[in-house]
Amino acid sequence: MSVRILGVAIFMIAALYTRQAGTYDVSFGDVLGPTVFPIIVGIPMMILSASLVVFPTGQVDWPAPQRMWRQAAALAVLVGFTMTLEPLGFPLATFALITLIGIILGGAPRRAVLLGAIMAPALWALFDQVLGLPLDFLGELFV
Amino acid sequence: MEILSLLGQGFVVASTPLNIALLLMGCFIGTLLGALPGLGPVNGVAVLIPLTFTFGFDATSSMILLCAVYFGCMYGGRISSILLNIPGDEPAIMTTLDGYPMAVQGQAANALAISGVASFVGATIAVIGLSLFAPILARAAIHFGPADYFALYILAFATIGGIAGVDPRKTLLSALIGLMLATVGLDPISGVPRYTFDSFHLYDGIEPIVALVGLFAISEILMLLEKTFKDRPKAIPVGSWLPQWGAIWRTRWAMLRGSGVGFVAGVLPGAGASLGSFMAYVAEKQTSNKKGTFGKGDPRGVAAPEAGNNAASGGALIPMLSLGVPGSGTTAVLLAMLISLNVQPGPLLFERQPDLVWGLVASLYMANVALLILNLPMIGIFTRLMMTPTWALMPIVAAVTFVGVYGISNSVFDLEMMVFFGVIGYLLRKFDVSLVPLVLGLLLGGDMERNLRRAMSISDGDWSILVASPISIGLYILTVFFLALSVWLAVRDHRQTKSERLTEG
Repeated sequence: MSVRILGVAIFMIAALYTRQAGTYDVSFGDVLGPTVFPIIVGIPMMILSASLVVFPTGQVDWPAPQRMWRQAAALAVLVGFTMTLEPLGFPLATFALITLIGIILGGAPRRAVLLGAIMAPALWALFDQVLGLPLDFLGELFV
Repeated sequence: MEILSLLGQGFVVASTPLNIALLLMGCFIGTLLGALPGLGPVNGVAVLIPLTFTFGFDATSSMILLCAVYFGCMYGGRISSILLNIPGDEPAIMTTLDGYPMAVQGQAANALAISGVASFVGATIAVIGLSLFAPILARAAIHFGPADYFALYILAFATIGGIAGVDPRKTLLSALIGLMLATVGLDPISGVPRYTFDSFHLYDGIEPIVALVGLFAISEILMLLEKTFKDRPKAIPVGSWLPQWGAIWRTRWAMLRGSGVGFVAGVLPGAGASLGSFMAYVAEKQTSNKKGTFGKGDPRGVAAPEAGNNAASGGALIPMLSLGVPGSGTTAVLLAMLISLNVQPGPLLFERQPDLVWGLVASLYMANVALLILNLPMIGIFTRLMMTPTWALMPIVAAVTFVGVYGISNSVFDLEMMVFFGVIGYLLRKFDVSLVPLVLGLLLGGDMERNLRRAMSISDGDWSILVASPISIGLYILTVFFLALSVWLAVRDHRQTKSERLTEG
């Protein structure tokens, strides 16, 4: 069943993609223009994904709900990092990243906090101070 | 003789203090990444690429670092195969078959030494092959026109991952998704923005490095969260690290045979190191399993696959450097880095940048010596570091990944893009869709389109130019052959699993 849904999803994307390709204008002196290549890509995509809907192969073992929550939590932490990196600065955002991912991966909370508290400033010092890659220390906290 | 003088120049390039330092660092990191279960060569190289950008190393130094990591992973993978019965990376799976039983029987030191020497033999033979054959292939490829390149790219997509036995439709779809992503951004010829959703972040297109770091490294974190990792097995304690030299010497023929088989598998498009070690093991079992000792701790069953996977990983560099078409996942990632540094691999690379090519080849000879030393007398370091628990290791890997990608252009958008591709990569992997064709499509798509449009401009819109030269016709015939082979294999596997199910029920 899952494979069929994948096929439908890819088919929809490929169809929209191919339709959109037709709207790009053909310019002079360029025989194919920007339109033809996306169509060459889009049409076999539609055929192949349609065939996956009709003749699906393979089965997908989706993780148990409890594991899925862990994945969602990890994903939230990763997205959270991209949102907090500039406002909070590298060490704080990284402290949260390492600690939280560590806990989600099954580390003891106290040890994960310790790991984050050591590694976040250490990574900042390594990259910013030693290797000369500029990373904000406090971000926009005190601006 | 010409090769020797070029190689001599290469050694001069490779011997600068910076390059030697990067080489040793790469060997160490690579062996460690290989030994740690869960982090393979593709992830390792993908995580390190953004960092090499950030520090502004030139293409030669970056390649030396990353190829050392690549080779190091191949050496390191066997350590956890033998001591933990968990392959450190995919190609090391075959080494568990005889390596772990040897360790259980108290022969861990021998197994580690045999596999270390086998790695050295395989990798060195592959580098010698690289020095000899890559220039020849490059010289032949210089006659390729735009239509021939288009045909070559089609061949690359049809073959990569195609022999693996999964549904070939999924592999092709993956390549097409990659090509689709490659068209995002300003069209280089007409200047029309395509599929940018009016976001100027997308005008430059999707940065392949950002995409592939997400696809491999971030999706790996999501994959890990599915497994239980509390009950990690204990490593087999090793009493003495000193091997018996006679035991190594007895496996010499297995090493040489494994190297030969692996090297051929590596050069073939779409095969890579995993297939190299598999084929080497199977071939060795057929020739020397007279007493049924394979799978129960036969030293030759350790030597052959290790020589095979290292020879294959070296062999896979040949099509990548001389044609610009990678034969495996890791070489696809290396290609991404070269393209991002504005180095176009292919036949012209050997003429225009001999320093890069031969510096790299020379550094690979040096890397093998360094890795042999790291992996024989200093192996104790790695067995201790290998036991770092996953909960402590992966968060740090994630943080370093973010630093590297952020360092490329200081853009939070890149980080978001990377996480997005991580989710895509995870989903595709769940559906058994190989990610390598996708990366290849994203990388080669732009060039493929340019060559197609150039060919069509030359012929003024006549499609027959695509099959006008004997080179392109030959390449299309090869493509059809490979596609037919992979369809046949997939159908056969399908029938086999069906009949197995029938006999079970």
